[in-house]
Amino acid sequence: MNRSLVIVLLALVVGATVFGSAYVLSHRVRTMQCQGPTDDLAWLRQEFRLSDAELKKVRVLHKGYLPKCAEMCARIAAKKKELEQVLAGQTNVSATAEQKLSELDVLRAQCQTEMLRHFVEVSQAMPPEQGRRYLAEMQRVTLGKHDQIEKSMSDSAGHAHGHD
Amino acid sequence: MKPTNASDDEKLRTLLRATRPVVTLPPRFQENVWRRIENAESHKGPLAAYWFDALATWILRPRLALTFATVLLVAGFGFGWNHGQENERQEAQDRYLAAVAPNILH
Repeated sequence: MNRSLVIVLLALVVGATVFGSAYVLSHRVRTMQCQGPTDDLAWLRQEFRLSDAELKKVRVLHKGYLPKCAEMCARIAAKKKELEQVLAGQTNVSATAEQKLSELDVLRAQCQTEMLRHFVEVSQAMPPEQGRRYLAEMQRVTLGKHDQIEKSMSDSAGHAHGHD
Repeated sequence: MKPTNASDDEKLRTLLRATRPVVTLPPRFQENVWRRIENAESHKGPLAAYWFDALATWILRPRLALTFATVLLVAGFGFGWNHGQENERQEAQDRYLAAVAPNILH
């Protein structure tokens, strides 16, 4: 019994070592092969199997969108700074702070609208099926985060009300 | 009941004998039966011990051990490669998202 137990345990250890070594080795080889994408659009080309012509169209749209995106980001960052200055050292929410918050929300909504418009344009430059998939994925990863935050907030609010 | 005569009975007996299959036992049949009984007797003990012994005997077969090692090697390699590919895909997606949907929005 003891000898058999040792053999079985040893076999398990050897098996796990063989599997683990092969796993780590192949993972490293794969990682070394691809030293990270250098092109922003590498994901689009791989994931949505875009041809060179389609990728060219998408690249034009992408390059056109980046300055607009940067401008919106700069405006949002500036507005956030203004809000922080208004809030600094205050113990209540003043009318000015409220106004700054509203302005920040408006800017964020504008930015999101621009972003969604860009996603729609890019999806239209792809084959229809891939375009639909791209649009769904982009909405999931960009708007989905807000949904998650709002859901967690409503869940925690409901939980708190339950204790009242 | 219908009366039967002796000649009919004899005919019937002969017919029945003829229909019986003649079975020839394999060579060393009895010896093998006894050996199997002895083996079964010798394994009487804790059931776990019996299974461990059987498993150990099974594992120690070189061809089987080699097959298992090969399967584990290929499976490990496949999973590792696949995971590496998935990481690469995720990295590429993050890069694209960072360009078109910067964190300032969130």
